[in-house]
Amino acid sequence: MRFAYITPVLLLIATPAHAMHISEGILPFSWAAIWYAVAAPFVALGVRRLNILGRDDLSLKPLVGLLAAVVFIISCMPIPVPTAGTCSHPCGTGLSAVLVGPLVSVLIASVALLIQALFLAHGGLSTLGANILSMGIVGSFAGWGVYRAIRRMGGGVALAGFIAGVAADWSTYAATALVLALGIRGDAPLIPLFTKVALAFLPTQLPLGILEGVITAGMLKLLYNKRPDLLVKMKVITERELPSNG
Amino acid sequence: MHHFTPHNPSATHLLTRLDARVKLLCVLALLLMVISCHGMVFPLVVAFLCCLLCLRLGLPAKLLLLRFSEPLFIASGVLLLKLFFSGHLPLFTLDIFGLHLTGYRDGLLDGAAIASRIMGGVSLVALFGFATPFTEVMAALSWLKVPQALVDVSLFAWRYLFLLIEEAQVVYQAQRNRLGYAGYRRGLSSFGTLAGVLVIKAFDNSQNVTTAMVQRGYDGRMPMLSHQPFRGAEVALSILVVAAMGVLRMLVV
Repeated sequence: MRFAYITPVLLLIATPAHAMHISEGILPFSWAAIWYAVAAPFVALGVRRLNILGRDDLSLKPLVGLLAAVVFIISCMPIPVPTAGTCSHPCGTGLSAVLVGPLVSVLIASVALLIQALFLAHGGLSTLGANILSMGIVGSFAGWGVYRAIRRMGGGVALAGFIAGVAADWSTYAATALVLALGIRGDAPLIPLFTKVALAFLPTQLPLGILEGVITAGMLKLLYNKRPDLLVKMKVITERELPSNG
Repeated sequence: MHHFTPHNPSATHLLTRLDARVKLLCVLALLLMVISCHGMVFPLVVAFLCCLLCLRLGLPAKLLLLRFSEPLFIASGVLLLKLFFSGHLPLFTLDIFGLHLTGYRDGLLDGAAIASRIMGGVSLVALFGFATPFTEVMAALSWLKVPQALVDVSLFAWRYLFLLIEEAQVVYQAQRNRLGYAGYRRGLSSFGTLAGVLVIKAFDNSQNVTTAMVQRGYDGRMPMLSHQPFRGAEVALSILVVAAMGVLRMLVV
């Protein structure tokens, strides 16, 4: 049985970990509905983009599915955070946004979040909209935007990947803190509560963002050295930037 | 990753045999009741009943606790935040290392309500995820008109998730055996390599999968499980359960 084989494997690589997903039930109905409404157009655009690109390339959907699985695995892998004395997870959306663009990355994040909500109790169905907003939309667009900007300024793949990873993680963290503060504040003033939520996450997320940057950079560097053709195909670099041409 | 469902639920239990569409609609209706609830009794009743059902379905208690560990951590955090930083009616004061903290009664009640909503919601979705195979969940989502591309990508992700986990584990063990995680810098570098290898594997697998699927008639759309017609008894029973929970919600808040 597949699960029987995988569970010991997962137990081997597991340590206590706390993700940045907004948990099921934490948001009242009104906020859950608002974040669904905000996230829906981005998911719809991601679906449209995938359908357009998929018309010419039948391998795209399987590739995006497999990348969603990779993001799921990466975002479930615990990384020790020394300052907090605990473990946390990278988001993985900065990476996917760099590889396939921000709109398809929103779709990838949605799939990863849906599976995590259903089978790992990370995030939730009622908070799926909020989590897609913070991790999928904000994380993807921040990572992708920063990567593109640094590459245009002449930065290398590794440097751009590092800063994109940091930006994606920290922006996800800031958006999550804001969504959480809005959802739980009741009649309390927003800014002080947002500050407190942000400060509560700070010991974990500040170093984790840097770690995510290092991992994103390491991964892009590996792809650049070993399989630059993949980066060209995914339009992360141009053919002129291939190592043999440089 | 450590609390992926390791056992198949009891195949003979009514919940596992129930139509996935009916289960999904029931879960969404109950979830709506839980997250729109201002009190803490109803969500806790839902949590208790769902946990009980999970155990009846054969989910080991340890696994259930593991699955609840993260939501419990978050619920505790929210409870503390609301207790100390939200409210007007002082309940107690604390002096910790010169830091003067006041706990508020109304903050505590608000925090407890949110924490109970978390437990209610998480247990509902955990029960649904445990009692329903992934392919049936996707077929039900497709029936609910969730965009087909999202469903297709989810099915691909689910199908290859286990394959990639196995490959990740092989690479991870190989790295460990070569002291790839001895030291922080080296560990990070190894983790980056592991992520990169997974992307390369994903890309190569996607090419092979597409070739194999095209040879079998794949035209860009994934075949879905075909739904049987709704069974009247199942629907009636589900409506009864949801209505009973609705009445309970109105009574106990």
